[in-house]
Amino acid sequence: MTHAVRFLLELVSRRLEPDEREAVLGDLSEDGASDLRSVIEITWLVVRRHAALWQDWRPWLAALAVALPASFLLMGVSFSISCTFQRLMGGPQSSVTHAATAHEDSLMLLCQVMLLLLWSWAVGFVVGCLSRRTLWASCVLSAFPCAYCLTKFHETSLTRLCLLLFVPPAIAGIYRSVRTNEINQKTSVALLITATVLMFGAWVNGALWAPNWMLILPVSFTVLLAWRPDLWRASSN
Amino acid sequence: MLGEFEYLLITAAATLGDNAYGASIREEIETATGRKCSIGALYTTIDRLEKKGLVKTWMGEATTERGGRAKRMLQVTPKGVESAKAFYEVVMRMSRGASWVES
Repeated sequence: MTHAVRFLLELVSRRLEPDEREAVLGDLSEDGASDLRSVIEITWLVVRRHAALWQDWRPWLAALAVALPASFLLMGVSFSISCTFQRLMGGPQSSVTHAATAHEDSLMLLCQVMLLLLWSWAVGFVVGCLSRRTLWASCVLSAFPCAYCLTKFHETSLTRLCLLLFVPPAIAGIYRSVRTNEINQKTSVALLITATVLMFGAWVNGALWAPNWMLILPVSFTVLLAWRPDLWRASSN
Repeated sequence: MLGEFEYLLITAAATLGDNAYGASIREEIETATGRKCSIGALYTTIDRLEKKGLVKTWMGEATTERGGRAKRMLQVTPKGVESAKAFYEVVMRMSRGASWVES
């Protein structure tokens, strides 16, 4: 029991900043508080700290306005890519078909894959930059639409995992934002121009669903992040 | 205007002077109020007061009785003193004529 409580204490206290952890553990030690009491006190402090983060608008924007809607749209793109790929490989006809030659399909597939990579990476990066400390909440909120769609998926010719093609590039974007939440101005502009050109190309060829235009917003946001990082990052981030 | 707990914290820190840090402030408040003061309430309030410029904090020296861990020292700023004084004056003014106040 003592070892378990000590382990819990260690785990919970790691949620605090190093200086605060030092001071709090020292105070509890000076008071002669038991390990269990220390766990309760520190847990309450961690909960209060985390609740205070949500007084800022950035976590709400990241979770509700970016992560949640982007999950739905990116799942749709992932599914579309899988159907196109299947058609190219000569698989059974899916319920989504386009009258196009194999060459046009290949080009559109390449276009969609590049867009998926760009959009997913940008969404992950922006969510991580806006609010790194509530990233877990954004990820949980993104997981709900994924779980819902996975349970409702009835396309027998495709695996359910085809809905999650966007996840690896999104994780790469998050990883980048956690490592360094800065982006070079030229890189952000290049991403925006590339995404816009690809989207127009897909749009002209009828391969872009209208709501997916919303996915240009996170890419555009990377340009804002590059130009004025101070405007968008919380001091407590 | 300051909140009740903010006033207690600032007053405890001002009373303790150079010895004002987390554990000592907590003990001072608990002795005066007769109620437990949680670490969560204490440290979040210290942060809030520091953001408002009413106190300043820094990491002090470690001691063996604290398991070799450093203290978070606290000092009330002149702005903090003014705020505490304003709170005290408001309470005094409001309390005049109250039945529980000895004349």
